[in-house]
Amino acid sequence: MHVTSTLTGWLIIVGCYLVGEFLVLVTDLPLPGALIGLLLLLGGLLLRQRPPETVGRGAQPLLSHMSVLFVPAVIGVGLFWAEVCENALGIALALVATTIVALGATAWFAQRLLIKAKRPD
Amino acid sequence: MLRAELAIKHIISRFSDVVSSTASVNGVLWLAVTLAFYAVALKIFRASKGHPLVHPLSITTLAVAAVMWFADISAAQYREFALLLHWLLGPATVALAVPMYNQWQNIRQLGAPLILSVMVGGALAPLLAWGVIYLTNAPMAIQMTMLVKSITSPLAMETGAAIGGIPALAAVFVILTGIVGALAAPLTYRLLNVTMPDAQGVALGAVCHAVGTSKALQMGEVQGALATVGLGLNGILTAVVLPVIL
Repeated sequence: MHVTSTLTGWLIIVGCYLVGEFLVLVTDLPLPGALIGLLLLLGGLLLRQRPPETVGRGAQPLLSHMSVLFVPAVIGVGLFWAEVCENALGIALALVATTIVALGATAWFAQRLLIKAKRPD
Repeated sequence: MLRAELAIKHIISRFSDVVSSTASVNGVLWLAVTLAFYAVALKIFRASKGHPLVHPLSITTLAVAAVMWFADISAAQYREFALLLHWLLGPATVALAVPMYNQWQNIRQLGAPLILSVMVGGALAPLLAWGVIYLTNAPMAIQMTMLVKSITSPLAMETGAAIGGIPALAAVFVILTGIVGALAAPLTYRLLNVTMPDAQGVALGAVCHAVGTSKALQMGEVQGALATVGLGLNGILTAVVLPVIL
């Protein structure tokens, strides 16, 4: 019972992905096919307005073990190792310093904006 | 009609590449190696109560890279053997619709200020990073890759490719950004006196995607929920805006 609903949910997700890829290929949209798939699924869930049990079960393993799916991508950085070393200082600065500044500034802005939004009630 | 046929053929040929590479001896072997290391990495991550420095991705990748070095396998070869994992990133991206749907009430309730907060983070993080990397005269491909560092990896890789960046590098920039942000968040928030759970969560999700979101979940339920919103909204906004304006 659980297994079939997980499988069905999984097939719906894969279906949305393939339809997204198809639409991007057919229309030459400059967007990732997976993003179109995400928007299709989100739109579908919002239209149905019911807790997405089946799709949720299918999504669970993909979401909680997403990390392992990036291993091939990260290994692929070996192909660009020379470029990374050549620009190591800039990359390190951009990844460390600007991430901390952007995180702090965003949180600070968000606090000011959201406190105002919450005050009326 | 012809276009649709070509598109279907393209999708089917990608799919059969995935099946044939996975069904080969090397495919099964390297998939098993990767998943075994991942299982160990998950245990370590849980034992450390989710410390961002021992993120399962970094440990699994380092272990796999070590085995590749001993077995004399190149990065290009490994990527071919592990095509299934790479392909699954597509469905995993689509699956993000589920947490987005679950947070829909939150998004509607906080409305415009929430979306504005996400947009501030979504614009600030890539622009600052791009500014720094531009000043150091890095090649165009690296500059473009920097622009997607704050969004969730599957979207970052696809968007990076669409604007002329390097997908493999995008995955690395994204994960490092997440680790830096998750490590720095508690002190940064204390220094700037950001005490509101909603604001803490939105910023972590918008600037530090999934790694930031798991940090936010540790900080509290509200932080976790709002981080999910930040991650999803910024991912979608960036993936739509960048390819259109560049």
